[in-house]
This record gives sequence, structure tokens and C-alpha cells, in this order.
Amino acid sequence: MQLKDQFRFVRQNMKKNKTRVFMTILATAMGCAFLIVLASVGFGLQKSVVKEMTEQRVITQIDVHGKEIADQGGFRPVSEKDIQIFEKLKDVKAVTRRKMLQQEGNFSIGNYQEPAQTVVANFPSEVKAGLELSAGRLPKGEDEVVVGYNFPLNLAIKDAPDDRYDDKGQLKAEYRYTGKLIGEKLEITVRQLKDGKQEEKTIPLTVVGISKKPTREWAEDRSVFISDTILTEIENFTGTPKGYLLDPNSEVPKDQDIHENSFDEVKIYARNMEAVQGISDQLKDMNYATYSVVNELKEVNMIFMIAKAGLIFIGTIAILIASIGIYNTMTMAVTERAPDIGIMKAIGANPKTIKRIFLLESSYIGLIGALIGTLVSYGISYAVNFAIPLIIKQAFGKETEINIIFSDIPFILPVICIVICYGVTIISGYRPAQRATRVDVLKAMRREV
Amino acid sequence: MITVKKLSHDFVIGKKGRQTIIPILRDISFSVEKGEIVTIVGRSGSGKSTLLNLVSGFIHPKEGEIWISGEKVSNLNEAKFADFRIHNLGFIFQSFQLIPSMTAFQNVELPLILKGINEGERRKQTEEMLKKVGLLDYQDHYPGELSGGQQQRVSIARALIVNPPIILADEPTGSLDSETEEDLLKFIKELNRDLGITFLIITHDDKVAEIGHRTIELRDGRIFEEVRLVCN
Repeated sequence: MQLKDQFRFVRQNMKKNKTRVFMTILATAMGCAFLIVLASVGFGLQKSVVKEMTEQRVITQIDVHGKEIADQGGFRPVSEKDIQIFEKLKDVKAVTRRKMLQQEGNFSIGNYQEPAQTVVANFPSEVKAGLELSAGRLPKGEDEVVVGYNFPLNLAIKDAPDDRYDDKGQLKAEYRYTGKLIGEKLEITVRQLKDGKQEEKTIPLTVVGISKKPTREWAEDRSVFISDTILTEIENFTGTPKGYLLDPNSEVPKDQDIHENSFDEVKIYARNMEAVQGISDQLKDMNYATYSVVNELKEVNMIFMIAKAGLIFIGTIAILIASIGIYNTMTMAVTERAPDIGIMKAIGANPKTIKRIFLLESSYIGLIGALIGTLVSYGISYAVNFAIPLIIKQAFGKETEINIIFSDIPFILPVICIVICYGVTIISGYRPAQRATRVDVLKAMRREV
Repeated sequence: MITVKKLSHDFVIGKKGRQTIIPILRDISFSVEKGEIVTIVGRSGSGKSTLLNLVSGFIHPKEGEIWISGEKVSNLNEAKFADFRIHNLGFIFQSFQLIPSMTAFQNVELPLILKGINEGERRKQTEEMLKKVGLLDYQDHYPGELSGGQQQRVSIARALIVNPPIILADEPTGSLDSETEEDLLKFIKELNRDLGITFLIITHDDKVAEIGHRTIELRDGRIFEEVRLVCN
């Protein structure tokens, strides 16, 4: 018997008891929709968390915070020697290292000024890591600097009032520096407490470049990149490593010497996401304190995987309940169709064919139910994502801070549901199908023996 | 064509521990040659229907052997007998045994579906067969919409559609009026003469018994008499 004909038989049989078949399909669809919607909450929350984590960080980036000191149990900062080790590791694309001026440098250009973070960077490695300029060039001379994209936007007139910022925290246009910046003279003023008095030193610089706008909407780059020579000049003035500003109320820190020639921010960029774990493991073996979003993602994904498995398990119970309906429908079908089965067997139908027709019918019910359930769950998922933020807004009077996805249905979820549903319907249809093959021809045809 | 050797069968009734064995057939041996019409007659309870059910493979004999078309069928399992049946045997039942939810066309087509014949070929063969039995115009009618004679013709068409060399018939005229009965018997004779189909017919009707080349009478589960009818 051809498969096409078996399907035709199944459809004919299903038409005979439309209401009963419809109710069974409905129960299966509800079970499937329950499973998918329940698990979709796990998938949705995971997506939200992962999105939040990956948006904050570059996925191929590994932060190195220092190296464990074997005997003392503490950590020391990363040195030039460590950088050379990092650069030799396999699949490392770039190692950026920055020294931070340990006080806020006050920058001024004519009648405009702005306090900003002052950084010494290694430009070849920064470029390898993806640093691009929106205008100008990279510094060549010792007094040349590159400023962050948002630096000119915050360069305010010196006597600007306190309400110089608008509602969004942006400097109002009337107080903002509007002249050109490339090639202009910029002065940095640094301070230090000397003999109880605060002294200042101003160093002239030249702006040669402006970095590219940060790709992330929320990110703001207001830093100023100075040369190592300028930093040395500042250190000579302050008498402390990296221009550390002494406080009149506290003592001079004793461990300052360890910060000499060390880096405050070291980032290793892997060639691809897959390489991150390997590099992290090697660094860990060498006792470096590292952090990468991939490590964190691994743990988060593990927790969510357990949660999703639990939700799918609970959802499967709903399908198992629906399978009782399928079992009942198929048992009734076998009982009702016993005379027809008898006739078919009498004229030469193989018991395997009979069994296959009934299994096909139960799986047909299961699959239609699963497909309807999948469609319904997509609708519910869409409605939930649309309605819950509105409900939260109505109930609490404010919007959700993070863009939370409450329900997400990846392609794999309906596939899992359909596979579970198919398996369950085959199991629930198996016994009735087996019973159909055992229908006695003579009893079914009510013939005398 | 059909050979039955020392066939015995009995039924066990009652619950375990208090069972009663009722002998139905005892030491039955006969054969049916190719192209022959053999009728089995006997009173009610003589075992003739059980004999046909054993030959059909609907029940397994307790003792003895059944050979059909050179194959020993008495020890075939259900699946193997089903395959054998669809290729070698046609059935005509007293109560027609048509599937009520299928049209005349679908009932006749059913054996071809089970054989795995493609749809185009099925349509052609089924229409030809319905034309042969004079029911082409009734092909879309359900069994409930047909007369007894018409239903029996549908049943015959279904039996003939797979061109079986043997047809087993159980009281084929039992549900028909005398006029229709005569038509059917004439049709059976024609099929035997023109197509060489072998018939083994169970009946208690003398008129039906008369169309056979041989008649075997059963009494109390044993062959009482075997008569060869010269006129056929």
C-alpha cells in the first residue's frame, strides 16, 4: 500500500469523527502551546541577559587586571614584560595597554575648558584593536594629542552657568566650543599639593586627531591621549607615578612604586570568539586575573540551560496529558472500525499496513496539534512582549529600564516541541494500533464459525 | 489447485479448568482441481463454514494440511497469509462485507490499493470491473444505496479485481431473491467457463449446489458423500 493512499485513508477516517478528532487536536495544540510559551520565557530572559552583557562589552575582549603574586597572595599590575607574553599567545589580535593620569586633567583652549580623563596609549595596538579617527591623524610629536569624539562636545566656555546642560545631560549649544580643533593649541593643567599648598602646572599641547564616534549609542569618549613624554613631565612635576594627586588629609601611599611603568588598563583582543576561551585558560594557568564576557556568558548560559530544560519538562507534562486524549480517540477509532479492519484483513491487508495506518493517524493528529500549538504560541509570545511592558508602565508608572524580551521562540523550540509531541503521539497511538492488528476477522465480520 | 489433507479442527469453550472441547471437523481430505466448481453442502453445524474459514486462513487448523496453488498455507503466519490471500484468493460473502463508508468504486478499488497499484491504473481497472458487473453507473453509490443483488455484484467485482485463480464463496446467494440468485449463479458459471476461475462454494441451497462439477456433503464434521455431477 502506497504512503499516499495511507494518508488518504487517514484523512477519510478522521472525517468520520470530526468533532472527536478536533477536540483531540485542540488538546494537543494547547499542550504544545503551553510547552513553547513556558520555555520561551526562559529563552526570552536568556536573550535579554546575553544581549545586555554583549552590548556592554566586546565579545572578543579579555580584560587582564593583574598577576597573582605567588607568596603574598595579592596581585601586581601588568607590566611591559607581561604585554610581550600576551602578544606571543596564539590567536591574539592585539593587546592594548593604557596608563591613566591619576588625576583629572583640566584642558583649555582659549576661553573654553573641560576636565577629562587623560590617557597614555600604545597607538599601533589601539589601531589593531579597532581605533579609528573621525578627523586628523595619529600623533607623531611628543606634544601632539588625539581627543575623544565627545571631547569637543563638552568643551564649555569658562564662565558658563551651572545650568549649562540640557535635559539629556548634553552641553547647551550656546556654551559649546564651535571652532576647529585640529591643529589648535590645547593646554593641560595638572595640580599637586606641595608643602601644604596647591600648585599648578600648565603644559601646551597640539590637537592632531579626533577619534571616531563610539559604535554604541550610549557610549561617550571624552578622553585625551597624551604621549609618554608628557606623562613623564607631569610625573616630574607631581613627584608621584602617573601624576597621583596627594591629599592633605591622608598619608602618601607606600606602594606607589609598584605602579611605576605598569599599565592601568590592559585588554587582549582575540581573533575570533572561539579563541577567547583558549586564551583565557592560558592566562589563568599563568596566574593572571582575567575577565571576559565569554566566561560569564558560559555560566549564564549554563544556568539558563538548566532552567529551560526544567520548563520544557513541565511543558511536556501538558503534552502527556493531551496524549491521553489521543490514546482514547485512537482506541475508540479501532473499536468503531473493527468491522472495516476485519474486511480489509479478509481481502488481504497485511497487519503491518493496518498498524501503520493507525500510527499515521495518531501522529497526524499529534503533528497538526503541534503545528497549531506552535502558531498559537508565536501569537501569545508576540502579545506577551507587546502587553507586559505596557502593563508594567500602567502599574508602576514607569517603563522597564532594560529592554527585556519576556518571551522568545527560537527555531529550535518548535522543533523540540514537535519532536516531543510526535514521540508522545506515537507512544499513545501504538497500543491502539497494535490492537487493530489483532482484530479477529471472523468476529469483526460477525460471521459464524 | 486446493488440496486438503486429513484436516481436523475443534473449538475449546468455557473457562480454564472447566473447558469443553467441541470437535468440528474430523479427518477431512479432498482436492479441488484447476477450473473446477466444487460445492460443499451440509446441514447447519456440519462444519462447512469452519472448513471454508480454514481454507481462507481466517483460523488455523489443529491438525492436517491445506495446500493452495502448490503452497502449504496451513502453517503460514497471519502476515504471510495476508500476502498470499491478496494474490491468490477472492472472497464472496453471504452478507457481502462491503465497507459502508466507501462507495461502490472505493470498495472495488480496495484490493488494488492494498496491492500498491498506482492511482491511474486502479481507476482504469476498477471502472472496467464495474462495467463488467453492470454497475458503472452506480460507482459513486454507497452500499446502503444499493439493492442486495447490486451489493453482491460489487462484492464479486471486488473479489475479481485482482484476477485471483480461486474464489471462495460462503453462501453467496443467501441474502438474494430467487431472480437475483439465478443471475448470480449464471455469472459464476460464466466466470468459470470464460476465465477458468476455480470456485469453492459453501451452500445449503440445492440450486447453488447444482452448478458445481462436484458436491461434497459434510455430516457431523466428516465427509459423508462426494458426488460428481455429469451435466456440468
